[in-house]
Amino acid sequence: MEMLVCIKQVPDDSVEISLDLGTKEPALIGVTPVVNAFDTYALEMAARLKETFGGEITVVSVGNDEVKNSLKNCLAVGADHAYLVKHEKSESLDPCGIANILKKAVHDIEGELETKFDLILCGKESTDYASSQVGLLLASKLRLPVATNIIKVEPMDGIMRIKQETEEGYRSIEAKTPCVVTVQKPDYDPRYPTIKSKMAARKKEIKELSPSEEVSSMLEVIRVFEPAKRVAGIKLKADNEQEVVAQAMSVMTAAKVF
Amino acid sequence: MSHSDAKNIMVYVETVSDTPLNGGLEILTKAHKLAAARGEEVIAVLIGSNLEHAANTAIMAGADKVILVTKDNYEMEVYEAILTRLAEKYKPSLILSAGTLVGKDILPLVAGNLTTGCAVDVMEITDKDGNFVFTCPVYGGTVLNDLVIKGTPAVAAVRSGAFEKELVVERTGEIIKEQVGVENTVRAKIVEVVNEMAETVNLEEAQVIVSGGRGMGNKENFRLVEELALACHGVVGATRPAIEAEWVPRSHQVGQSGKIVAPKLYIACGISGATQHVSGMIGSGYIVAVNKDEDAPIFDIADVGIVGDVVKVVPLLIEEIKKIQSL
Ligand SMILES: Cc1cc2nc3c(=O)[nH]c(=O)nc-3n(C[C@H](O)[C@H](O)[C@H](O)COP(=O)(O)OP(=O)(O)OC[C@H]3O[C@@H](n4cnc5c(N)ncnc54)[C@H](O)[C@@H]3O)c2cc1C
Repeated sequence: MEMLVCIKQVPDDSVEISLDLGTKEPALIGVTPVVNAFDTYALEMAARLKETFGGEITVVSVGNDEVKNSLKNCLAVGADHAYLVKHEKSESLDPCGIANILKKAVHDIEGELETKFDLILCGKESTDYASSQVGLLLASKLRLPVATNIIKVEPMDGIMRIKQETEEGYRSIEAKTPCVVTVQKPDYDPRYPTIKSKMAARKKEIKELSPSEEVSSMLEVIRVFEPAKRVAGIKLKADNEQEVVAQAMSVMTAAKVF
Repeated sequence: MSHSDAKNIMVYVETVSDTPLNGGLEILTKAHKLAAARGEEVIAVLIGSNLEHAANTAIMAGADKVILVTKDNYEMEVYEAILTRLAEKYKPSLILSAGTLVGKDILPLVAGNLTTGCAVDVMEITDKDGNFVFTCPVYGGTVLNDLVIKGTPAVAAVRSGAFEKELVVERTGEIIKEQVGVENTVRAKIVEVVNEMAETVNLEEAQVIVSGGRGMGNKENFRLVEELALACHGVVGATRPAIEAEWVPRSHQVGQSGKIVAPKLYIACGISGATQHVSGMIGSGYIVAVNKDEDAPIFDIADVGIVGDVVKVVPLLIEEIKKIQSL
């Protein structure tokens, strides 16, 4: 099964990003760039499919040279090929702009590798802008079936059987191949690279592609700001639990919580 | 679509078993205020069957017109096509829906069909010099963006709990039945729908939420969270690790990939206060945290922080609260 995983590089999501009050931009200097968490789940899902059904995994990202590091990391955890669509200002693109570029990339990569993808996987959203639209729009532009928020996908008799997580449970979806899925956190975690897989990845080439013609962004950010901060209240410490709880209760009753 | 003739706000209201979901009703109330200020109307769109009662509820929540389209089953591509057709016919300047799985699936596609843009996770909508401005969280909610959509109509999926629902019984409105012919466009077919949740969990509307995290230690201790919730007449919430450990079903998850909640009282037990959790509960009225680590970030946002072991502290809290409740 031939798979393509779309990757976005984002600032480390375990770091709390604040606003730089000087530049009025998010303070990202010094924050490690990582592969978007949901994309790592998508890549892990692809890696497991490869182990069961064979085939190869290609990863693609849109961005500048810095993104190559993230693509290398993908090569160390299951990807066979990596492509970067060179774009110096990918932050200025909206989801539709990214989907347009990826659409061309799909055709370009299929041409270069002389293959056809059976499955295109995206994360269900990115941890930075969380717009959750790229996979949907990519499928729409490629006129392919799409299922979002999925936790499982399996090929069976020429179709893909998909498990989509819903608010109440799940839906089983069937789609012809090729199709697009956007991946939610399944009940397993992405694997870590080994020293050996890292070494091998370092030797692999990251091929570059040129973007499609630019489409102007439909979304314009007019103000960046921080939410109103909450002020910390009181912190109660005591060696004796009875005592702290009694203190806490009196604070809460005074505040008319109960 | 040209800018000049676009007016009115179209709201897609999702229904489950012929009943409109709260998210859609909350948006109708907000849309009513925005539209009334412009001298425009709110057009609700309901798709399903037996929707007359739901249509009346939509009117009470703020719809001036309700368009009913009959369809038996949900299919993403069919709903997308219906909403696109209706937008082309009624030419709204704004299309809204709740940011449920369905809303977040169809709105970006509708926006794509109409060559415009879609904002998601919208927390606030303001009307500034004739442009709708959408407030959206980025980086898990530590930074906010105000954005405008340059295409027409503007399309936006709203975060749960962003607006408050007001049902006014006296309101009147017009119900319109529309036949929308769509070709068989279904490429991804839903073959089974499974409801796994034994109980419905209404975290969004809860006045009191008691949540437990990894610090509860095990499934048995997690029962303390449930007991405390019961004592406070509250609903049980949880962090992702507690869900992944299967101490509680996933419908209880609070945070970026769970529910966004804003109860009057939120009690966090054994929760560190990671951004992805906090962004889902920062709007709570009063926050109480119990954590054994006095440097836990949850204390930075708590009104009352108790430094201590949950296994010892929570039972005492239960006891004290029961005493108060029985007065
Ligand atoms: C893309 C993405 C999306 C996410 N979405 C969500 C989401 O929607 N919701 C969510 O909650 N998380 C989410 N997470 C996970 C999030 O980053 C944190 O890992 C999670 O919130 C931490 O949960 P926790 O506080 O229960 O566990 P921990 O961070 O492990 O904290 C446990 C706390 O319990 C305390 N503790 C331990 N033992 C005791 C004791 N005996 N008594 C008192 N205190 C004790 C510890 O001091 C610690 O502070 C997401 C992560 C990612 C990457």
